[in-house]
Amino acid sequence: MLEAEELEAAKRTPPKEVILKVKRYNPETGKQYIKEYKILTYRGMTILDALNYIKENIDPTLTTRYSCRMGVCGSCGMIINGKPRLACQTQVAAVATEENPVITVEPLYNIPVIRDLVTDFTPFFEKHKMIMPYIMRKNPKEVDEAEYEFLMSPEEHLEIYEYSLCIMCGLCYSACPVTASDPEYLGPQALAQAYRYIADVRDEEPEKRIVVVDTEHGCHRCHFAGTCSAVCPKMVDPAAAIQRLRKITLFYRLGLWRKKKTSRVAGPLEKPLRKIEAQYPTHNLVEGADPEKQAKEPVSIDFTDEMLSE
Amino acid sequence: MNKTQKQRVKMLQNMIGFFRASLNPWVIRVKFKENPERVAFILHRVSGAIIAFYLLAHIIVTSYTDDPLAWERILNTLSSPWNKVGEWILATAIIYHGLNGIRLLLVEFFGVGIGRPELPKPPYIPPSFKGGQRKALYAVFILSIIGSILSAVLIFTGKLPI
Ligand code: HEM
Ligand code: SF4
Ligand code: SF4
Ligand code: FES
Repeated sequence: MLEAEELEAAKRTPPKEVILKVKRYNPETGKQYIKEYKILTYRGMTILDALNYIKENIDPTLTTRYSCRMGVCGSCGMIINGKPRLACQTQVAAVATEENPVITVEPLYNIPVIRDLVTDFTPFFEKHKMIMPYIMRKNPKEVDEAEYEFLMSPEEHLEIYEYSLCIMCGLCYSACPVTASDPEYLGPQALAQAYRYIADVRDEEPEKRIVVVDTEHGCHRCHFAGTCSAVCPKMVDPAAAIQRLRKITLFYRLGLWRKKKTSRVAGPLEKPLRKIEAQYPTHNLVEGADPEKQAKEPVSIDFTDEMLSE
Repeated sequence: MNKTQKQRVKMLQNMIGFFRASLNPWVIRVKFKENPERVAFILHRVSGAIIAFYLLAHIIVTSYTDDPLAWERILNTLSSPWNKVGEWILATAIIYHGLNGIRLLLVEFFGVGIGRPELPKPPYIPPSFKGGQRKALYAVFILSIIGSILSAVLIFTGKLPI
């Protein structure tokens, strides 16, 4: 969740100069220490830009991990000013002000640190694997040799859409007070995904996942502190998913829960598709223009020398 | 990776740990109004521990003797002002733990008050924060404060003003 104030702040120009206090870890010496970097900013600079600037111009030993730079891959999660955030989605202007230009950057909590800001997601991904994050059918051929898609109405899709947005960035995992003390806790991400597949009408094996999450280290460990939902950059809302999962496991153990509906394979079309001739739109044309002729002409853009030299 | 390298490369566990996570609501710096549930969780845990500790102490003290005179003496030592402060803290803890406990039971066992999944739209507030449980939480906070004040009046003056 992005705070409204943060969204507002991101539109401002950041202070001219900021100080980044980066918590670094050196695996050779086993020491964690804080290093300060003073850098000049520009409008629209993100924390990831700032870290890359440091790496390129000040200290090439600073280690970070990132890939997409646009909040999609989930590699750049780190603790910025005490809150888990995506470095590429956090504007310097949103976390630093003229009065307080200090930004602290730390590796994610509760996840082993390999070096500086790079964390080891192996346990996190293992837990994600444990809940079997894929569609399972009674007849596996329906998935493995799928000829047709499974039926799913828009309403059924909305039930799980929110949860399917997870990018596995680990921010929720880092923020949760339960992962903080129980390294075996499945964590908000894996549990939310377990609910996502249990609630998915295309899936036929919810019982297999219920067995995995209904343990000491599963959904019942959660205390509904809600911080996972508060820090998730994709509004996945793991806290709500886990409570629904608990309700399901409770009622399942009482013998009162059965999956209401599983969808069937779409199968071949009952009626052949209608053929529609493609046409150029004619209702909003510039007078005298012939779209068919224009489509055949090559596009040429004239650059002036000035434009090219820029 | 050969063996000597493996020995040299040591990962940092970086765990927050049980006590920091249970006692410090600011380990993760989210604003109170953004995530009061976390404060509620910490208060619930602390109040639960206070009640559990009291229960243990209570059982030990009450089973200490069956001599009425000795019991009289114990009661006398237990009526000091500091014990009244302790009683007040205990009463507050029980009121909060009970009220919030009802809310947690509804949310955690029956999935009540956490909204429905929806399409993410700005300002991106998760449905579980817009649901009834958030309002219930504020009600719990307010009722606990009122209950705490009333119990203070009762414990320190011996009677309720109403
Ligand atoms: C008024 C009746 C009570 C209710 C409704 C209640 C409810 C609850 C609930 C729902 C939880 C789980 C909280 C969570 O999931 O985070 C809990 C935890 C707890 N309760 Fe109670 N409880 C009550 C009385 C007591 C008593 C009398 C004690 C002391 C013996 C106690 C001690 C605890 C402790 C130590 C925890 C664990 C807290 C944690 O791990 O976070 N509770 N209570
Ligand atoms: S649930 Fe949200 S915070 Fe957690 S891993 Fe997925 S996207 Fe990241
Ligand atoms: S709601 Fe549960 S999983 Fe999410 S942060 Fe709180 S304890 Fe962790
Ligand atoms: S670099 Fe991909 S999410 Fe930040």
